[in-house]
Amino acid sequence: MLTFLVLAVLTVAGGILTISARNAVHASLGLVGTLLMVAGIYATLNASFLAATQVIVYAGAVMVLFLFVIMLLDANRPVEEANPLPFVAPLAGVGGAILAGAFAILAFTYKDPRPLAESTAALANGAPGPVGETLLTRFLLPFEAVSILLLVAVVGSVALVQRPAVQADPEQTPELAALEGEVA
Amino acid sequence: MAEVPTAYYIALSGILFALGMIGVLTRRTAVMVFLSVELMLNAANLSLVAFARAWGDLVGQTAVFIVMTLAAAEVAIGLAIIVAIFRKRETTNVDDLASLKG
Repeated sequence: MLTFLVLAVLTVAGGILTISARNAVHASLGLVGTLLMVAGIYATLNASFLAATQVIVYAGAVMVLFLFVIMLLDANRPVEEANPLPFVAPLAGVGGAILAGAFAILAFTYKDPRPLAESTAALANGAPGPVGETLLTRFLLPFEAVSILLLVAVVGSVALVQRPAVQADPEQTPELAALEGEVA
Repeated sequence: MAEVPTAYYIALSGILFALGMIGVLTRRTAVMVFLSVELMLNAANLSLVAFARAWGDLVGQTAVFIVMTLAAAEVAIGLAIIVAIFRKRETTNVDDLASLKG
């Protein structure tokens, strides 16, 4: 219980840093903290394979991509312009409070279908073997669909960031083009 | 060791989801909106893993694996779109991107 409480407090602290930090790099570091703590929570939930995947895929690969794009686009500066919709922020706070309250009611009226000790034993500690077996039997169709999705994502992201082909400028003389070629 | 009740995990998941929603609504840089969406996805994953333990069934954990793959693909495409928009508009402020006119 103590482990869970410490992890939960750190998770929420990371989440608050993520949505409140003015510098985008600080916010993404807050999210890295949250993701690592969620990985710890997965370990307490007998999901060892998912805990490892969370660290490698989320805290590793996805966050590197995020940091790379933040630095590439110089997005770490906060937005300076006046907010055209100033009423959204308090509204979002109220909505978030209502949502959290609804989840709390949901959580504390939920009854476990059977004793936790019994169901925990059936999980086989969430080891890669049993998870992979489920993935390749009951989840075979989603698994194959996701592999196509990943292919589409790779091709799509390459196509999106491709530079448009340089169009021939009719005004440009051959000498100028040669000069530009030298500079480039 | 006494097991932590599932209710605590669901409550934590709710708090994380609410934080993510507030972030999506209040942050004004497209990249920050994406970070908040990641927070919401993690909240959903957390409750899936908690329910997987409650029911003693690995299906919930396997679904989380699929969701993680989806999230990674979504981030790759989403960030590529943000980079493409930044090249065209020199901004990632979502207020300026309200119109989809090229």
